[in-house]
Order: sequence, then structure tokens, then C-alpha cells
Amino acid sequence: MTTPVLELKGVSKSFYGQKVLSDVTFSISPGEVFGYIGPNGAGKSTTLKILAGLITQYDGSVTIAGTDVKREPARAHALIGFMPQACGFQNWRTVESALDSLGDLSGVPADTRKRRIAELLERFKLADARTKKVKDLSGGMTQKLGLIQALLHEPRLLVLDEPLEGLDPPSRQLLKDVIRERSNAGTTVLFSSHILSDVENVADRVGILNQGQVESTGSIRDLTRMFDLPTEIDVDFSSPPGDTSFLAAAGKAVERKPGEWRVTLAGKPAPDAVDEVIHALVERTLAGGGRLRKIAVTEPGLDDLFAHYINRSEHGARHGQ
Amino acid sequence: MASSPTMRLVKDELYGFAKSKVMIVLWVILPILAIAGYFLFSYLLSLNEEPGTVQDPQAPKMSVSVFLSGLLSSIAGSVAAILVAVDIVSERQRKVFELIVIRPVRREVIVWSKFIAVFVTVWLACVISTSFGIVVDFIRGTDITAGAVWDLVKALAQCGGVIALATGGGVAVGVISRSILVAVCIVWFGSQNLTLLPMLPIYFGLAPEYFWVFQAASVALAFALVWLAGWGFRRSQF
Repeated sequence: MTTPVLELKGVSKSFYGQKVLSDVTFSISPGEVFGYIGPNGAGKSTTLKILAGLITQYDGSVTIAGTDVKREPARAHALIGFMPQACGFQNWRTVESALDSLGDLSGVPADTRKRRIAELLERFKLADARTKKVKDLSGGMTQKLGLIQALLHEPRLLVLDEPLEGLDPPSRQLLKDVIRERSNAGTTVLFSSHILSDVENVADRVGILNQGQVESTGSIRDLTRMFDLPTEIDVDFSSPPGDTSFLAAAGKAVERKPGEWRVTLAGKPAPDAVDEVIHALVERTLAGGGRLRKIAVTEPGLDDLFAHYINRSEHGARHGQ
Repeated sequence: MASSPTMRLVKDELYGFAKSKVMIVLWVILPILAIAGYFLFSYLLSLNEEPGTVQDPQAPKMSVSVFLSGLLSSIAGSVAAILVAVDIVSERQRKVFELIVIRPVRREVIVWSKFIAVFVTVWLACVISTSFGIVVDFIRGTDITAGAVWDLVKALAQCGGVIALATGGGVAVGVISRSILVAVCIVWFGSQNLTLLPMLPIYFGLAPEYFWVFQAASVALAFALVWLAGWGFRRSQF
């Protein structure tokens, strides 16, 4: 078994008597991309700040490649690259001077620093803004600068707090590409995001944080299977068959518009069960004199999984659980 | 090779403060205004003189350099304290420290670098202004004796003590305060009283030698305040 790059054990944190994190425990393996999701105020940023060393008073333990963040902060800080939700730079600095200073503080030698700054500015399409004052940059450009400063010292663990927020679609794609590249190069990435489709695209595994607790961790596929989330089959007829009762036999069938049905397969269908249902639908439609325009299968995604957690916790709160 | 984090932070802070608008005012505009003020003040005094009175040529006259050093030592402490307190609170609010704290840098180094940068730049402003005054005195033909120069050096050293102490207080206020307005209020009212502390042993007759006791007490108190601020900053949660 590989040693995890990041390990949180029983991490709890309270602010003014109110529990924000409760016994958070999870680990991330080398080279893994881990998406950390949860509703607003769930404690995502607090978790990330703890492992970046910004919050030092908490219960439990956080280790980065075996180094305890609380006991050996300097060593742990050298292993981690952190991009906070909002990056602040001194107003008088230019893009280049800000990166040079932060790279120097991370212990990157001057010649390597110069080369890497140039490379990263080029990669993130900020080369023209090299001599611009940081205060004159747009929000998206500042966000990119925040990511560059986290990458400068080529950390083993890259922690990004809402990195996709405020970026335009091309920049979001670029960021996702960079995350993938880093992961392929062996860097472990932990990032939080509200944009679930992006998390779904990039993350190998996700952790769902709800009301200060990590409810589950795993790949999206494993988690959706674990919770019996429904698979939906959309069936559009260009000419419906005379009898449509066979749809209801396949699952819960609802006619959304005339000639457009949605069949929901409850429970955890076996991989070939969906194939069998589709085959039966086609066969019965043709036998009934109907014609098909489209059949589309929608497997449960991160959105469904997330909604499932939120609904479950709201239901629990209403019933005092 | 990467430089030491302490040296890098001090260098950056010195550069940042030296380029700030406040320092440009202190280094250039203030000496000019002060000299203009000196001449205006002399002119106004001459208007109040009885017509026909003959001035005693032996009567001591305040030189521009003495006027400037007096003026600067009265405001430099407050300026330094406000400058550093506002800078710390503002950078904390804009989350500037977060990107430094997450790096392998001891947190208290950030606080010490602010102290050193503000102390050096404000004290340098006083030295520049006083030197400017000496040049004006020289041009006006004022007799510059060795004793007068020694007095100016002592005044500058004393001004350094005041600036160090006030900057230390400003750093401490900046670390504990979360609002710029609160920081300015505390510093404004506190810095004047703080600079009285090193004089207490003299007032109570415990130490007769004013200059050295004041210098030693100022430096010791300044270091104690910055050390306390560093301790507080190390425990800060971001």
C-alpha cells in the first residue's frame, strides 16, 4: 500500500463555540486529484486553511508526506503549494516581482525562479502582464497569478481553494489541463469547487463535506453505486406505439412532453441491465408500430450525488436526527 | 541560491515603504514645507517686534536645522506608528500575509521586517530633512559649530529612539487590531503617551543621565513590543 501524501485524522475545529469541522478524516494517495465539495459554509475553506498552516489551532492531526503540519510547519510548508480563495498581493508589486519574492521565500534558487516564472506566465497567458502592477490586474488574472505562485516551487501537494471561481471558460479549461498535467507528473492535487461538472471532469476521487463532516470519499462512480442513485433513460418517439404500458414495466415512466418519456430505473442496476432495458424498449416500440427518434441514458453524476447528500441532511435536520 | 527569508522580507518591505506615497511626502515635501514654515515663522515674529528695537547680535537664534529636527521628532513617531499599523491591518484585510505564512518562513519575521523597514525609512527621512536644514543654514551663513553638529546628532539619535518605540507600538497595534480606524485611533492617542515611558526613570530621579537612559529604555521597550507582536502574530489564525 502506498503512503498517502495527505492524511487528516479526526480534525475538528470550532469558532467561538460553534463546531465548523467535526472529526474530518480522509487521505489522498500520490498523484491523485481529489475534489473536495460541499455546500456553502460546510467547512471546505477551513479544512484547506488547516492543512496549509493558516489555521494552527485545531484538534486532530494533519500530515503531509509523513510531516506533521503542526509540529514541523516549515518542512510541511515546503511540500505544499496553496492557492487561497482570494489571493492578496502588495499593491506596489508588479506581477514578476510578486512571483520572484514568493518563489524566493519558498526556497527556489534565483536562476530556476527566473526560468519557471517565465514558463508559467507564458503557460497562463500572462507574459504580457509581466511588468504590470498586480493591483491593475483583472479578477481572473489575479486568480491565475494565485495559481502560479502555488506552482512555483513544484510542490508535492497542490491545494487549491475554489480555483475555477471567476475564470472564463478557456481559462477554466486551461486550469483543468494544468491540474491533469501536474497529476500525471506525480503531484497530488486537492481542490475545492462549487462547479460540480468541473470536479467531475478532473477529480479521480471526491470527498463530500456536509455540516462539518466528511460524509463519504471515493470515486464518483463508486459513490453513486453505494447510494443506489437512479439511472434515467429518455425515450423520444417520432411516432409512439399504440400501447406504451411496456415503459412502466421497465421502471418508473413519466411522459414529460407528448411522445417524450423518461424511464427511471430505481436501485442499483447491473451493468448489462440497462442494455437489456434498452433492447426491450426498442423491440416493443417496433412491435407496437412505433418509431424511435432518440434513446439517451443518463447515469447518476456528481450533481445527483451532491443533491442526495443535501436532501438527506435537510431531511435529517427536519426530523431532529 | 535562494536568499534568507528574513533578508528577502526586509529588502522587500524597505523597497515597498521607500516607494510609498507617504514616504515621498516625508522625504521631499515635508522638508520643503518645514523650511517654508521656518521662514514664515521668522517673518511673523519680526512683525511682532517693537519698531525701533535693536536686536542683540549675541542673542541665540534658532537655526533651520534645529527647527527641522524639532519639528520632525515631534511628528515622526506618530507618522511611523500610524504607517506601520495601517499597513499591517490593511495587508491582513487584503490577505497578503496568507501567501507568505504558507511558505517556510517564521511568522514573526514578517512583523520584524515591517518594524525594520518603517524605522529605517522614517528615521532616514529625519536625517535627510535635518541635512537639508544644515545645507540651508550653510547657505544663509549661519555659524555651524562642532557643538551644534553634536547636538544635532544627539537630536537625531533621540529621534531614532522615539521612532523605534512608536514603530514598535504601531506594530503591536497593527497585529491586534482588525480595523484600520481602530488602529489609527489607538496609535494616535497611544503613541504620544508611549514615548513618555522611557522618560519615567528620569522624572522619578532614578536615572540622571537623560540621553543614554532615554535611548536605552526606548530601544528596550521597542524590542519588547515587537517581540510581543511577533508572539501574537505567530498565534494568529488566518
